[in-house]
Amino acid sequence: MKKLLKLLIQLFILLVFNQVGIILVDSFHIPLPGNVLGMVLLFLCLLTGIVKLSWVDETSTILIKHLAFFFIPISVGLMTLGSIFMYNGFALLTVITISAFIGIILSGLSSQFFVKKRGGIEVESAHNHI
Amino acid sequence: MNLLITIYSLVVTILVYLVSRKVAQKFPSPFTTPVFLSTTLIIVILLFSHITYEEYAIAKDIMTYLLGPATVALAVPLYKHRFIVLNNLIPAIIGLTVGSISTILVAIMLAKWFHLKELILASMSIKSITIPVAAEVSKIIGADAVLVAGFVMITGMCGAMFGPPIMNMLRIKHPFARGLSMGTIAHGIGTAEVAKEGELQGAVAGIAMGLAAVFTSLVIPFLLPVLLKW
Repeated sequence: MKKLLKLLIQLFILLVFNQVGIILVDSFHIPLPGNVLGMVLLFLCLLTGIVKLSWVDETSTILIKHLAFFFIPISVGLMTLGSIFMYNGFALLTVITISAFIGIILSGLSSQFFVKKRGGIEVESAHNHI
Repeated sequence: MNLLITIYSLVVTILVYLVSRKVAQKFPSPFTTPVFLSTTLIIVILLFSHITYEEYAIAKDIMTYLLGPATVALAVPLYKHRFIVLNNLIPAIIGLTVGSISTILVAIMLAKWFHLKELILASMSIKSITIPVAAEVSKIIGADAVLVAGFVMITGMCGAMFGPPIMNMLRIKHPFARGLSMGTIAHGIGTAEVAKEGELQGAVAGIAMGLAAVFTSLVIPFLLPVLLKW
């Protein structure tokens, strides 16, 4: 019970940052989604020590573990695009997949090349623990 | 009646997601990636139950309510790996620019080769940006909001499904590079997928998703007219 309360308080803190991000984006016409600005703000608050890691750690870990879930209901919206894909499906899918693959490959290769060139970083600690 | 449809939609979505996660763990393959498998199954179930997307939308709004705080939460892994991220800002900016520009150029070139309409070309050009920003930019460049949303989701899904195996094949093994490319090209869906590999990947992907969105939305209003005339 105490644990649940802790998780809810942490969720509330995340919601506050999200809301502040949305308000700032709306009032200053910043070309960012409110939640991404909220992420930047929380990062800055963690860096400066205004927010302690222990205030948001557990709930964040759970939410990130299930991040994919939140995109599923949005993706279900693809069911409204049936007719467009009926006519142009092959062309559209080819364009989307090939351009995505090339983007991923070039972005990955170039950033990996320069990370390694700069002497690299400790990979062990970050690799493959799920 | 509406309430029943909403409860049914919620239960179906959550159950299908939980089952998909189990299936993905048992049979890892691009086609068992939870976003892809769940979305496909849910669409089939909704069609068989004669539920339209409009009726599903209430359940959708309830479930996506936590997407905001979940994105904010990416600040936590980012903070835990702050030294690595801050030390590699230059490789990050290079990878981000190369990835964003190349995916736009290839998409427009291929779309022209297929003789697709200009409205489709414009909508294709912003398919790698996260959905809330893409929706805004589509108004500025005169793209179709529904098409953009569809292209963005398919891009994310196909990045999540095939990005990791392609990077394995090409020996892109560095967690920093893997996170960066997935966040840059496959935005939130790619971030969710690559975050499963490790904390650093998720952190870098989250920030790459944000930066790529800013970069593309600043560049595309100038780049697109040039590319369309080309």
